[in-house]
Parts: sequence; C-alpha cells; structure tokens
Amino acid sequence: MSILEVKGLKKTYTTRFGGNQVQALKNVSFTVEEGEYVAIMGESGSGKTTLLNILAALDKPTGGTVLLNGRNLAEIKESAMAEFRRDNLGFVFQDFNLLDTFSLEDNIYLPLVLAGKNYREMHQRLEPIAEQLGITQLLKKYPYEVSGGQKQRAAVARALITNPKLILADEPTGALDSKSSDELLDLFSAINKDKQTIVMVTHSVKAASHAGRVLFIKDGEVFHQIYKGHHTRQELYQKISDTLTLLTTGGDRA
Amino acid sequence: MRKSFYPKMAWSGISHNRKLYIPYFITCITMVMMFYIIDALSVSSVLLQVRGGGTMQGILGFGKWVIGIFTLIFLFYTSSFLSKRRSREFGLYNVLGMDKRNLAHIHFWETAIIAGISLAAGLVCGVVFSKLAELWMVNILKGQVDFKLRVEGSAIRETFLVFLVIFALILLNSLRKMTMASPMELLHSEHTGEKPPKGNWLLALVGIVMLAIAYYLAVTIEDPLIALIWFFAAVVLVITATYLLFIAGSVTLCRILQKNKGYYYKKQHFVSVASMSYRMKRNGAGLASICVLSTMVLVMLSSTICLYAGVESIMRERYPRDLSYEVHVSAPKYLNGENEAGWRHLMAETLQESHLTASDVLEYTSASFYAKFENNNFKMMDEMMDEETNSSRSSSSVYGVYLAPLSVYNQVTGENETLNAGEALVAVFGGSYENDTDTLSIHSDIHLNVKKTVSNFKAINMEGAVSAKVYYLFVPNFDEVAEQLVQYNTDDMQNVSFKCYYGCNLDGSDEEQIAAMNVLNDQFAAIDASEQEGINYIRYESYAFNKEDFYGSFGGLLVLGILLGIVFVFAAVLIMYYKQVTEGYEDQAGFIVMQKVGMTKKDIRQSINSQILIVFFAPLLLAGVHLLFAFPIIYKLLLLFGLNRIQFLAMVALGCYLLFAVFYIIVYKMTSGVYYQIVSTKNK
Repeated sequence: MSILEVKGLKKTYTTRFGGNQVQALKNVSFTVEEGEYVAIMGESGSGKTTLLNILAALDKPTGGTVLLNGRNLAEIKESAMAEFRRDNLGFVFQDFNLLDTFSLEDNIYLPLVLAGKNYREMHQRLEPIAEQLGITQLLKKYPYEVSGGQKQRAAVARALITNPKLILADEPTGALDSKSSDELLDLFSAINKDKQTIVMVTHSVKAASHAGRVLFIKDGEVFHQIYKGHHTRQELYQKISDTLTLLTTGGDRA
Repeated sequence: MRKSFYPKMAWSGISHNRKLYIPYFITCITMVMMFYIIDALSVSSVLLQVRGGGTMQGILGFGKWVIGIFTLIFLFYTSSFLSKRRSREFGLYNVLGMDKRNLAHIHFWETAIIAGISLAAGLVCGVVFSKLAELWMVNILKGQVDFKLRVEGSAIRETFLVFLVIFALILLNSLRKMTMASPMELLHSEHTGEKPPKGNWLLALVGIVMLAIAYYLAVTIEDPLIALIWFFAAVVLVITATYLLFIAGSVTLCRILQKNKGYYYKKQHFVSVASMSYRMKRNGAGLASICVLSTMVLVMLSSTICLYAGVESIMRERYPRDLSYEVHVSAPKYLNGENEAGWRHLMAETLQESHLTASDVLEYTSASFYAKFENNNFKMMDEMMDEETNSSRSSSSVYGVYLAPLSVYNQVTGENETLNAGEALVAVFGGSYENDTDTLSIHSDIHLNVKKTVSNFKAINMEGAVSAKVYYLFVPNFDEVAEQLVQYNTDDMQNVSFKCYYGCNLDGSDEEQIAAMNVLNDQFAAIDASEQEGINYIRYESYAFNKEDFYGSFGGLLVLGILLGIVFVFAAVLIMYYKQVTEGYEDQAGFIVMQKVGMTKKDIRQSINSQILIVFFAPLLLAGVHLLFAFPIIYKLLLLFGLNRIQFLAMVALGCYLLFAVFYIIVYKMTSGVYYQIVSTKNK
C-alpha cells in the first residue's frame, strides 16, 4: 500500500514586488510505498524544499493533490493540521531545530507532551529509541552542551517517538561532519530496516546512496528516478553521480 | 574620511533602530524635563513670594537630587540594553575594516546626538511645563499667580551640567565595553549558547526569610521615629528580598515545578515552565526593579495624597481655633483667676482693635509631660533616667501625656460625661488603651480609676510630632491633680508643663486674622518683656497664618510625590517596553521551531501569553503585597504628622493601586503588540 501519493503537484509563487510569477513546482507526481526509503535530489532552486514543505503540510500547493496514508492534505482543516502532522509525520531538519530551553530528553518528549501523553508512557517509548540511537547517556544534557551529530540524533529520536507513518528529512546531514553524517545515515538505514518509511531531501550523493530509491527533480518536475534494486551502495553512488552530471550538463532524459 | 562621515553614520545608526531609540529619546527628554521642572520650581521667585512656597521649595530642592540619581541609574540600565542590541552592527563594522577608534567616534557622535536632542527638547518642554507646574503649585498654596513664561537660567545651567555628566558616563561605559570585546564577540553577543539556569535555592531561601523578617518588622514597629534604624532595615530588606526572589526564587520555583513530572509534562505547562526559567534568569533583575519602583510610587502617592487631603483635619487638631494664645507656666498656681482675666482682657482688646468678633471660645488648662507607660504606670523622665542610667534605648516607647479637666472633653466632643474625684477618662490618640486593669498611676504615686476609655481620639491642639501615640487623661478635679504633679518639677528639670489655652473662631478674612495675630503679639509684648514670675513662654497662633506653611510642606510633598511618581512610572514603562522587544527577538527562533515541531499557532500564543502574563503581573502583585505590609508603617508615619484616618488611608492606597494596575495593563497591552509583531515577522 502506498503511504504517500503525490499527483500533478504545482506551486507558483508571486514575487513580492511586481507580479513576476515563479514556478517552483510544475508537475510533480510520485508515490512512496510503505517501508520505502526515498531520497529526493536536485540542485538549489529545483523545488526540493518547496516540495518537502508541501509534503509536511507547512505550505499549500497551487494545484494537484497530496494523499498521506489515503487522506488528502488539502481537506484537513487548519485547526486539525498540527495534530495530524504530529501523529503522522516526523521531521528531521538540517539545523536540528531543538529548543535551547529544553534538555535533549524534554526536546524528544515535546510532540508526545503536545499529544497529551503521560510521563510514564513517554518514558517507556523513549528508552528503546534512545538505546538504538545511542543517546541514553546524553538525555539530561542541553543542546548547547552536545555536538551536532548528537543533536541530530536527538532530533531523530524526537521524530521517531510518535511512531509516525512517514519521516521527512530535510538535508539531515547538511550541518554535520563526515563521521557524524555516516553515523546518521547508518541510523536511517537501520530504522528503515525496521519498516520505517523515510523521505529525505538531500544534496549529498553519499546520503542519497543509502536510500532505496532516488528521485531527481529539475525545474519543478521529476526528471528521473533510480532504484537501488540489487545494486550495492557503491554502484548506486556511481549511478547517482552520473545522473547528476547529466542533469547539470543539461542532457535530456536518460 | 570626511568630517561629516561619523555624524552621518551615527545618525543612520539611530534612525535605522527607530523602534529602540524613540522610546529612549522620549525617556531622556522626559527625564531632562522633570529635572528642569523641579529645579526651576525650587528656585522660582513666584513660588517664593507665595506664603508656604519657601517650605515647598526646600522639599523640591531635595527631590531634584533624588531624580538626578535615579536618572543616572535608569539611563545606564537602558543604554546598556541598547548597546547590547546593537553590538552586532558594530561587530559588522569592525569586521568590515573599521578599527575601534572609528567605532569610538561613532559611539561619541551617537551619544552627542542623543544628548543634544534630549537636552534641547527636554528643556523646551521643561520651560513650558514648568509654568503649568508653577500654576498648579501656586494653586495648591492658594496664592496669586501671573501667566508670564519664565526661564530660570540657573536651573537650565544645572540641568545641562547634570545631564552632560550622565551622558558622558554612559558614553565612557559603552566605550569600555567595546574595547574589551573582540569583533566576533560583538557579532554573536546575542547568540551565545545559554546555560540552563540553575535554581539557586539557597539564595531563594534567603530571599524568603528576608522578606518574612521585613514584613514582620513592618507590622510590629510601634513607633517609626524611635525605631528608625529598624524601619530603614525593613526597607533595605524588602528591596534585597525582592531582587533575590525575582532572580533566584523564580528560577528555583521553575526547577521545582520541572521536577514534578506529573505537572511538568502537561501540554499547558511544558513549554511555559521551561522557557519561564530562562526568561526569569534574564529578566529577574528588571522585574525586581519594576516591582521596587512600583512599590515606591504607590507608597509615595498614597501617603502624600493622604497628607494633602487630610491637611484640614490635621490643622484643626493642631489649631482648634482661628486665633489663640497659650501661656505656659511652671506651676498651676500661676494659672489663677487674676492672671487669666488679664490675658482674656488682652485678647478682647485685640479683637476690638481688629474689628473682629469671637465665637466658639475654647478655654482650658492642662498639664503635659512625657512618660513611658509600663505596668499601668506613667514613668516620667527622671525616673527613667534613674533606672537606666547609661542605656539610652529601651524596649518601650516614650509617649506624650496630657492631663486636662473633664469639661474640655465634654466641650470638644459634645458629650456629657461625669466623673467623681479620683476617676479619669483616658482618651488615646493614634491607638487604644490596652491595659486590662481599671487603675493607672502617674509616677507610681498618683492613682486614678479608669472609668472610660476612648480609642483613636481626635487630638486637641497637639503640638506636632510628639509621638505616634498620645494619652489624654481627663479628670474632674484637674486643679487638685495638677497640684500633685508640681512636685515632679525640680530646679534643674521641669518634667511637667502647665498651660492655659484660650482660643476662639473669628469672622474675618485670612488677612484680617493674621493682622489680629500681630496685634495680639503686641498686646502680650509687655508681659513677655516683664518676665513675670512663673511664666515660661507665651505662644500666639493663627490658623490662617499656619495654614500656608502646612499647605506649603504637604503640598510640596504631594507635588514631589506626583512628579516622582510620573518619573518612576515612565521608568517602569520603558523597562517593560524594552523587555517586550528583547523577548520578542529572543523568542523569534523558538517560535518557528515550535511550529515545525507540531505546535499550533494558537498553542504557541497561549503558552507565550501565559508566560508574559506571569512575567508582567508578578511585579504588580508583589508590589501590592509590599504595599499591604507597608501600610502599618505608613499609617504610623502619618500619625506623626497628626493624621489619624486609617480608613481614608486604606482607600487612597487601594485607589492608587487600582489606578496603577489599570495603567500597567494599558502599557502591557500596548507593548505586547510590539512583541507579537517581532515574533511573527520572520514567520512568513
């Protein structure tokens, strides 16, 4: 069953001065099956972030539909949206978006507290996740006391703790050094093995090579996609690089 | 670089930060204006000509320096806030190639521009408004006014100098800070990772204990004049405790709440409590300042309003009749019929000469002395001396005691009490008669049966600040008892003073009455000069004459109270405004994150609203509690002025508090708009 269905998505921005119209997304359609790990790649300005914002229901499309777990995002009322996001989506951001005023533990609890869960339940849910992410020792620390990689793992824990249908990751390795990046990507692979669906937007070929499928976006359209299939990570890496070269040198569909 | 470069840079720096600088300008201008007004009034020749104006000017001359010192502290505080906000800009200039000398130039020009504009505008406003204030004060003093606009040169000079010094100090301070910081520190000073606030429970505990002690002192101090040191100790304790509670106590409270998992991990509390502890850490000192300032405004306004409104009743208790004389003698035998007839005759002649008619004559004799009241016994001075030869202070207070004929009581109150010899009616001003036995003694050997007691008795012709509590003993056989009191007067020490009072109301205008007092003075001159045996001194008093002085000093206090009130309120408003602006910038990032993490805008608003409400109204609430506990002290201080109207005081205090609260809420509403504007700008 497909968890995410995107059909004919369009997004047009009107610039603030003068009525110049910028088309960020022309016509994007794709589906994500349950348990899939999809990477979305594209150059700056290709519409990746716009797409992710629409998937996250942080932005509204000009045309087309997004069905998440069978529900049309456009039909969800504004008042119910935050709750819907909380229950179905987990977010991992490039700049972590941890609140400085909370310890890591409290940051991770935040979505559950908002959902009205009691402390005992939250704590029970946290334990295995923290164990898996290797942050059990860090839970009492504050964001300013830990490294970027550790912050990002806490952010992943925050995304996982609600058992979301889908995890949306926006350049999750963007602010990390290579060692932390590797650790994080291994982590993503591991949670994907546990049947967690992940959609990740990234620039990094290495990050994308961990995914099961890579979508390429160019000028607001899905330009190409690669399945990992039986390929090894190295082979996938090579294929992604080739596709990107093709994309930038302006070739037509491969 | 061209000469005009730095002033231009400075000006553009200010105008780009209008949101921050306009309130600062307004404050500086107001401070200059207030200082000038008070200074100008304290040297105004118009005011000096009005009777009572001199007294008022004395009070204002003192108030001027209070404002000066307060302005220094306050402008220091706000300017350091401004430079913190702008350090990023200066860091950028620094990175772009300006050295510290260049930056110092810009700082200099900025301060010069601010000082120039504030002084110019402030003095212009000051000149205009000082005329208004002058009219108002002359009105309070009930004198004649003209409508010429006057500029007090000396006040302008003084204001100029004082504020030049203040601005110079501010400049030096910001230069000092700048030279110590590196460009990177300047760039990032707003975003240095902040450690989670640690609740210092020890300090919090000290704060609570201090506050408890201060409140205890405030409630138990019997006589503020005698316990002056304790009174000041209480004030200092309250201020220190307020700071401790806001800085350490609030964070500790948040920490305790966070430890309570059932409470903390609730949607309504989670974000609020966590951010509160940070908010309090940053703002504790500012909030404590607001609280202390508010308390000062409230105490000052309620007491001065009370004094001013009560001036008539204070006057009538002190001067029961329009014109009077008092002959103080060393023994009751000099108050014989012959002498008294002679004095009355002088009064009659005075009135005839002044073409005035007397009515409501009040005439009495009385004996007065100071004593401690212990074990139902009034101990007079020498007895006290014997007992505690060298210790100057002891636990119980010294009270004023008046002994007078019962007929005086009946005349003053309109009642018709009768007593037998050996009995007494005890009336107490500023308190009640607490002893349970129905006998009392004077100096352990005059014994009286207490037949009736009266609490909170209105004073009769009481001479100023005697003590917070005054005992009146009314006896039917005054002459006998008075005769017994004579024995306590020795050659070196006169413990008991005897006097004969004669007073009457008059029908003439204030001027005529004052003229009559002068005539009376002349009439008695012969007796005064003759140094007649037994006569200590003679006093003539005119209600009309003394009224001016009373209005002068109480009116002066009121004016000062209101002016300082305005200044303090201004300070509180500005602190609030800057608080909102800083919080807005600080919360901006968090606001966005919270939205991404799944809070609705409504949730965020609610959480922030509740935090801001607490942050804003905690000082107001605590100020209310402070006022409540200051109430007994204010009451006792006002008693020293002869004002004994506890309900009136309570109403005025409550009124001041409500008025202040309304004002506070308006300011809060206005400034919270700025906050939301800042928080939501980066949102879309």
